[in-house]
Amino acid sequence: MEKIINYSDLLSVFKNLNNFIIIYHNFDQIYKKIINPQEIQNLALLNIRCIHPPKLFFFKVKDILTSFTSVEKILLLDVKFCDLKAIRILDNIFIGEEYVDEKYKIYKENTLIISSDCINPQLSCFCSIVGGRPYVEKGDGSDLNISFVDENNLILEAFTQKGEEFLKENFNEFEEPTKNDYLKRNSVRVVSERKIYEFNKEYIKEDKKNKHYLTLKNTYELESIWEKESEKCVQCGGCNFICPSCYCFLIREASKDYKDQHRDKVWDVCHFTGYSRVAGGANPRKYKYQRFRNRYQCKFVYRYENFNMYACSGCGRCIEVCPGKIDMRKVIRSLVLAKGEEVLV
Amino acid sequence: MSIYKPQNFKIIKIIEETPNIKTFTLKPLDSDKFSFKTGQFIELTVYGVGEAPFTPSSSPYKTDTMDVTIMRVGRMTEFLHSMKEGEIVGIRGPYGKGYPVESFVGKEVLIVGGGVGLAPLRSLLFTLIEKISDFKKIVLCYGARTPSDIVYKYLFPEWYKIKGLEILRSVDRCQPGEWDETVGVVTCLLDKIKIDVENSVAVVCGPPIMMKFTTLKLIDMKFKPNQIYLSMERNMSCGLGKCGHCQIGSYFICKDGPVFSWEQLKDIPEPFE
Ligand SMILES: Cc1cc2nc3c(=O)[nH]c(=O)nc-3n(C[C@H](O)[C@H](O)[C@H](O)COP(=O)(O)OP(=O)(O)OC[C@H]3O[C@@H](n4cnc5c(N)ncnc54)[C@H](O)[C@@H]3O)c2cc1C
Ligand code: SF4
Ligand code: SF4
Ligand code: FES
Repeated sequence: MEKIINYSDLLSVFKNLNNFIIIYHNFDQIYKKIINPQEIQNLALLNIRCIHPPKLFFFKVKDILTSFTSVEKILLLDVKFCDLKAIRILDNIFIGEEYVDEKYKIYKENTLIISSDCINPQLSCFCSIVGGRPYVEKGDGSDLNISFVDENNLILEAFTQKGEEFLKENFNEFEEPTKNDYLKRNSVRVVSERKIYEFNKEYIKEDKKNKHYLTLKNTYELESIWEKESEKCVQCGGCNFICPSCYCFLIREASKDYKDQHRDKVWDVCHFTGYSRVAGGANPRKYKYQRFRNRYQCKFVYRYENFNMYACSGCGRCIEVCPGKIDMRKVIRSLVLAKGEEVLV
Repeated sequence: MSIYKPQNFKIIKIIEETPNIKTFTLKPLDSDKFSFKTGQFIELTVYGVGEAPFTPSSSPYKTDTMDVTIMRVGRMTEFLHSMKEGEIVGIRGPYGKGYPVESFVGKEVLIVGGGVGLAPLRSLLFTLIEKISDFKKIVLCYGARTPSDIVYKYLFPEWYKIKGLEILRSVDRCQPGEWDETVGVVTCLLDKIKIDVENSVAVVCGPPIMMKFTTLKLIDMKFKPNQIYLSMERNMSCGLGKCGHCQIGSYFICKDGPVFSWEQLKDIPEPFE
């Protein structure tokens, strides 16, 4: 089902939604959780993705592993394509394999994800050059998507059963979009994607998108370049923590009582020495450049081999967060150039 | 039930193997059976202290109790070594893929172990001995640092008696008169064995450096990459393919291993680092 709606009508529908806890963001790009929907002031749909990654709601910073509390029904509003892709990586890890992480599964089942197209990409955005795009289609992982005919007129598209029901229940009286609306929407999408290639033309040729894998796989041994590129890295772990697709965690033993068995997990990251240290203090990644390299290999080589997609969504958060001003795209460019491949336009 | 929640086991027996290695016999508290495939591992919890991966060293045919042989190397194992019979620990698992024993049938099986690495190999050995006529022969090459570092000393006399099982042992160093077998690293035992390489498999477990040189030696002896099996070790936390710690190349050792063929590992840069 599809509907067309203008911004102020959409806002007023959301202000009157009662059966959800709503997580949305304002112009500050920070997710807020609200119980009373009347508190929603703006839907900052024109923004890029939030500062914090939405993994926070499924794969919590810290979570008890051994007991369940009741789970609230959440509506997660305005997730962009990049973050949906990252959630697909997390799905693969937490619920796509032999063992199912029940908590992750339950959090996800109780969340309605509403996505929206990205029409104002920023300089740090590079979704399109890592196999993504700044708009959302069926199968990307959201229940419902908001796309733009223009800044004020929006198309709502349901992609799942959950999304269909939500649309029927709350937007039934609205019209269906016309053919012309779709045409306009599609040209808005084209403009946005062009901007991304424009912003990234220093780093990649459009026809080379998706080719990093083969090249990066062969850059493992370029130790002097990894060393140089990681020089300014202070191993803060910020890039991993803020990454929407980093899934690593550590189990912490809490209870001394075998009847209680209380334990929890906390996020952990491969930039930290303790992450890979083994018995007796030996460490397969003892040098900084090795840990730095691992992050790139994980995202562009290893997970690509597992899931046939990069575990990098091009959201650009790691570029913005890095105190050493390290830009992933520049690192990749150095490596690719060192391999004698051409990336510049 | 949470996949992260352990079952409780009681320590019913502790054997002191060497000054820093003990074998713990564990019995499940709330069930009468615990099954695993040889080569699979478990996560053992010392409540309030920590959890670490170990490989059962007992026979998979014995399901009422399970042995784990543990070297004291750090925080958690230090604590474990101070525990007494009757105390309770937690166990999750078994996890991962074990040795493909079925594919060894009809072949000569070369087992190469170093130090506490004999733990999973003992479980394998028990499995093979159970059906020893299925295999052309079994050769065990075992190396320890010194004679007193040899584990399962009390089992060797029985093993020497088994037809179809050859055993060679070495120590890195010893006091004069203390040792009348080979002195040297375990790879030098490989020069002494007679084996039909074409129709063999080799199974290796030990410290990383030993695995590296043994693999190189086996390749030298013309073992093919798919005839060599290695038990890999990395930092682990979840054991379930989720937490990321054990990653090596695109594998998660906990779920894709811990037993790998050299075929799977050979293209991974620095697998023994
Ligand atoms: C599949 C598998 C099977 C194994 N089987 C056996 C076996 O049969 N027998 C055996 O003896 N060993 C076995 N091991 C090795 C065994 O798991 C280690 O010896 C054990 O984990 C050591 O734990 P520890 O706490 O005593 O050592 P430590 O050296 O104290 O710590 C080991 C781990 O804890 C982490 N750690 C410790 N302190 C800190 C800290 N302050 N901050 C952050 N991290 C910390 C380290 O990073 C390291 O990963 C096996 C390992 C694997 C992966
Ligand atoms: S290994 Fe590193 S880069 Fe990969 S998911 Fe874990 S923290 Fe992120
Ligand atoms: S954010 Fe920058 S400095 Fe911090 S760990 Fe990542 S690359 Fe290193
Ligand atoms: S130990 Fe957690 S992924 Fe392997």
